[in-house]
Amino acid sequence: MASVFQLRRRFLCTSSKWKVKQVTTSNFEESLQEIKTHISSSDYVAVSMARTGSPSPPSWLRPLPFDTAQTAYSKARRAAHRFQVLHFAVCPFSVSHSDKLLAHPYNFVLFPRDELKMGMPAYSFSSQTSLLASMARRGFDFNACVYNGISYLSRAQESAAKVRLGAALPSLREVKSSSSPTVADTVFVERTRSRIKHWRKTFERSGTSTSRDEELINSLKNIVLGSEQFRSRPCMTIDVCSERQVQLILEMLVDHSDDLLPLLIPTKSGTTHALRIVLANSKEDKELLERELQNFEEEESKKIRGFREVIDSISASQKPVICYNCLNDCTLIHSKFIAPLPLEVDEFVSSLHSIFPNVLDINYLMKKHGTMRKVTNIPSAISYLNNNFFAPVDLEIPDQATVKEGKIHGLNALRLGYLFMKLCSILKISPNVTDSGNKHLAPELEDFTNVFHPCSPPIQDSSNAGDVGVWTNNTRKISCEHLVFLWGFNLGITAGMLKSLLRSSHNIFSREFDVKLVDKSCAIVVFWQPGVSKQFLDIMNSEEMSGDLKELVSNGLRVTSYETYDRICRLGLWEMDLRESLERALENSWCDEKSNCGTKSSEIHWYNDNVINLDDL
Amino acid sequence: MKHKLPTPSLSRAVARALCPATTTQCDSAFPSKTVTTANFEPSLAELRRHVRSSDFVAIDLEMSGITSAPWRESLEFDRSDVRYLKVRDSATKFAVVQFGVCPFRWDSSNNSFVAYPHSFYVFPRQEHAGLGPCDEFLWQTTSMDFLAKYQFDFNACIHEGISYLSREQERKALRSLNSTYDSEWSDICKLKDVRDMPLLSAADILFTARMKNKFREWRDGLLHEQNLEDQIQGDTGDSKFQEMFFEMHPALRLNGFTSHQLKLIQLVIRKHFKDLSYVSVNSEASNLQQLVVYTDSKDELNSLLKKVKEENHGAEKMKIQAAVGLRHVIDLLSSEQKLIVGHNCFLDLAHVYSKFIGPLPDTPEEFVTSVNKCFPHIVDTKILLNTNFMLHEKMKRSRKSLAAAFTSFCPQIAAGSTSSYPGSLSHVKVEVEVDDVRSSSWNPGGKHEAGYDAFMTGCIFAQLCSDLGIDYKLHDSSKQLALDEKLQNYVNRLYLSWMHGDIIDLSTGNKVGDSSPSYSLRKRYPKILFENIVIIWGFPSKLKANEVRECISKVFGPTSVVSVFHLDATAVFVQFSKTELVSDFLSLKNTLEGSDGALLVLHPLSKLLEGGNTCAANYGTYKEICGSPLSECLFADQVKAVGIKWKTKLPEFKIALGVEEHENPSVGNVNIAMETVKMTKPNTIDQLRNAPFRRQVSTHEVEDSCVAEANL
Repeated sequence: MASVFQLRRRFLCTSSKWKVKQVTTSNFEESLQEIKTHISSSDYVAVSMARTGSPSPPSWLRPLPFDTAQTAYSKARRAAHRFQVLHFAVCPFSVSHSDKLLAHPYNFVLFPRDELKMGMPAYSFSSQTSLLASMARRGFDFNACVYNGISYLSRAQESAAKVRLGAALPSLREVKSSSSPTVADTVFVERTRSRIKHWRKTFERSGTSTSRDEELINSLKNIVLGSEQFRSRPCMTIDVCSERQVQLILEMLVDHSDDLLPLLIPTKSGTTHALRIVLANSKEDKELLERELQNFEEEESKKIRGFREVIDSISASQKPVICYNCLNDCTLIHSKFIAPLPLEVDEFVSSLHSIFPNVLDINYLMKKHGTMRKVTNIPSAISYLNNNFFAPVDLEIPDQATVKEGKIHGLNALRLGYLFMKLCSILKISPNVTDSGNKHLAPELEDFTNVFHPCSPPIQDSSNAGDVGVWTNNTRKISCEHLVFLWGFNLGITAGMLKSLLRSSHNIFSREFDVKLVDKSCAIVVFWQPGVSKQFLDIMNSEEMSGDLKELVSNGLRVTSYETYDRICRLGLWEMDLRESLERALENSWCDEKSNCGTKSSEIHWYNDNVINLDDL
Repeated sequence: MKHKLPTPSLSRAVARALCPATTTQCDSAFPSKTVTTANFEPSLAELRRHVRSSDFVAIDLEMSGITSAPWRESLEFDRSDVRYLKVRDSATKFAVVQFGVCPFRWDSSNNSFVAYPHSFYVFPRQEHAGLGPCDEFLWQTTSMDFLAKYQFDFNACIHEGISYLSREQERKALRSLNSTYDSEWSDICKLKDVRDMPLLSAADILFTARMKNKFREWRDGLLHEQNLEDQIQGDTGDSKFQEMFFEMHPALRLNGFTSHQLKLIQLVIRKHFKDLSYVSVNSEASNLQQLVVYTDSKDELNSLLKKVKEENHGAEKMKIQAAVGLRHVIDLLSSEQKLIVGHNCFLDLAHVYSKFIGPLPDTPEEFVTSVNKCFPHIVDTKILLNTNFMLHEKMKRSRKSLAAAFTSFCPQIAAGSTSSYPGSLSHVKVEVEVDDVRSSSWNPGGKHEAGYDAFMTGCIFAQLCSDLGIDYKLHDSSKQLALDEKLQNYVNRLYLSWMHGDIIDLSTGNKVGDSSPSYSLRKRYPKILFENIVIIWGFPSKLKANEVRECISKVFGPTSVVSVFHLDATAVFVQFSKTELVSDFLSLKNTLEGSDGALLVLHPLSKLLEGGNTCAANYGTYKEICGSPLSECLFADQVKAVGIKWKTKLPEFKIALGVEEHENPSVGNVNIAMETVKMTKPNTIDQLRNAPFRRQVSTHEVEDSCVAEANL
């Protein structure tokens, strides 16, 4: 390339000099073509996005250290559903032998504009004032976002939109030879075959006759019988009940492939509910129609998909995706660009796996590295690595000259790529392993792919906890059964005061236990010995309470097990205060006895990040 | 509809680009004062002056959205109480992004009104931790698009929008402040918080010892009655300790320590020094300061601490005062008791109430009486236009949107010049004054800019009053316009539900029937009897309204169903001809679902009940669901989210049979022929949804268009 502008920063990383191409509606088309080629020639794709909100302390809706994979996922699901993404940074990069990084960073400004006037992609969305204000401080241009942001539709929304637009897809599906037909199949095929035959006959007859009267009669007949037309060619619609029947009809139509073109009419859920069979004048006419439809569909789809084209091409490339927080980013991507998020984390993980087979979590990689525990964001991680390690990374960003001057956003994706290279170099991992010409992930890195764990600062960092002093930094693995939620105490009490209050209330608290405030009105109690929490819950439910504990309960102290917490996350009983949610769950519990929220992963790491590996599930 | 009039406000865009900061000096553009955090204080002072001398004040709001879900849009089947619940939902979830205030004063020397249009950018930021409006609010995508179409400056709004505290929030903040004030020396002597910490590390032990020496030296130095000047001279070497006098007491200011170190210092002071005390001061003049102060006696210490405490308290109070922000404007309007003029302003008032006064009450009656207490005189130009026969005649042909009314009643102002228009004498003259510059000609302003909308509203009102026979020349400025008997039929009346002509009297809370000519026109459409209505949801998604009607008519007779109306894709209202049919239908549904599948397959209702998820209830349930704070996009999902688990809400007298039982449908697998979904003309709901809400921000047009659709 003639205008290659090389950036070599061996020892210092001043990311302020980096430029990222900003993409809005005006330059989307050309940038899309560019990035598609870059993605296909890259080794990795780093992504990063800015959202309009994310739960933060003191809200209990933020990821907490005692969340299981399921509860953490439920919280991420809520946030992904509620909030909007305003810009999406994508940085495909490739790595050469000498640790040279070739990056193509882009930042797409998004706005969920309702292009089709259908209330999609988002009828409304929530935003946090504090987050918007901090974006404003960093110079984010909201006018550019609303005026010129690129819209999109998720895959699920696209198929729903197509149904409502009445655009039928030509069936491009291959006709596979299916398993041996049953009797019902044969009957169905024969019935359909004869229907089509009769239908064709009417046109053959009308084709031969030239009398005007007959034409008039025919058109009247068409109106009366409800004959349809598709692009000025006659067509008929056949209802189907299953994909199997679709297959059968397609197989049958192979014999008539000269002039009959079958089109699938999809339902909202993406399945087919009917087939439209179009009768073309000739073989050439059929091909013409096919091409016409394909072009039309391409154009329409482009308009409909918008930014999702980028996601689709990342997905199609099957390249490893790098993000900073897998759970947050992937739930957001799934809910905005693929389909609404399923209720269960397992379903989500497998659904995501089909889109991005390898997702690398940089945050997790850094934590595993050990010394990086306290780093909370990407720029500080980079400066930490620069200050403490000698790990030169040669970064080259072509096309820098073409980037217009102005505010640069979406640097984080580029930084992620850079950070990844540095980490690989420090950890002595080769980013690529070439095996008979095919590049694939190093086995060391595979341990860090598809890890969906809640990323939260360790609980001892929260402000109200600093003065308790009973918490050690030791990681202790405990079962969820050891945890009890407690609320109904006086507001403003500290965890230490609550602990001493409990200790003096009943002799069950003579055993080793700890107390932690979750939010201002609710605390979590951990009993280190097995079975004690059960005992405590039993005592709280029995009549034989006495003394101070009885006094506390009379004043409104309530307890419940971890299972209730699990349930509120599943059911989405998101109240501002955790105690309100817990109370609601307890009120409702009588009507769904059947909920067997099997705690598949009831083990959590107290104080540690809760890591659940995709492949273990 | 305002937005249908094609007036591309290019001139305004250019004007804004040229003069982004405050006023538009350019002769051409409409002069309006834009207020942000940068110029809020002086603008408020100025506005105060204008409001005091004004005859009335017009207001207008731009919001971040109108409806949180499609089914929450204003519908034909909304009873007035349901309508209120929808308004309440909107006002609590969305934010005000721009607030237009325009005082109007009669200038007798010029025989014209002088208007002072102001547009305040609003953004509900949290200025201080825990002090401020709720952190989360909703945006409606189409509203943002609509605002963007009229060149709304989102950057100005988010960067420099003025924040606010409602009266309720201020009261709460003050209460919690006072409670900490009453509790013991909480903030000053942080000693209470610091329990004995075991000195864990060698660093802590060394640091503590060093601090002990340091303070001892300093204290001893003081006691040796050395010249304090010398002391200060001698000690400047260490920037961490700054010698000073605090309230006439010698003190050391601690700079640059970590909170952990400060804790250790507190411990040292408490343990080893009786005559030194650790004080944390948070005064207006200086920011948070950590001091070690020397006092001679316990009494002296106590009086010092008391003083510090009061000062800290005062500073906190000032912070709260500063956070009140935009509410000062509302307080001003309220305390001056001026006549407030709005156009179709029920939602606007709900926003004003929820943002600046407190949480919205449960019923419309409570709401209006509370509003009346704050704003004793409110007039809605829409009421004036509709209930006055003469004015109605004049407006007959055009629609009653703000911009349309403006052009038809004040053509000379709308055209942009008050002087050159060869209009009749009956036209009220209005001049605009911004920053003491009077102008009487301008290019037509930008619609949907709150200041300009407020200006239009005020102009219409001034003209309407003149048409009603109010002579401003004879009008005594000391006499309130709001009390003029010619206006008595219009003041303090608001449309609660425009479609049903429900007008509510703000001063009494009573509903007043609409006797307006426009309402009598609408009367020929059948009145909706809410007790005859069943709401059905969760039925097969391809079922259309006429199929539902057909299905029910087969069972209850061809005349049983008066109308079927789609709430959204997942729910319909069915209005029966008789009230009994409601309970008959619900019980039949319940019985059918209780029975085995065979009976159901043959039954005409099977089409409706197919899938086994069809639920039905009476109108009360609809109200209950509208009152929920949740907003799912589809009605059926909303019901699920609200936590309703039954499938049929049986009428009250049959409740003993058990409402919650039939959860187990045995009719899942009925295989029926699929419907062909062709491109049909959009049914009612599609039109309703597609027409007005794409581009809306203010509600002015919502009801108009809904009625228009309903009347098709």
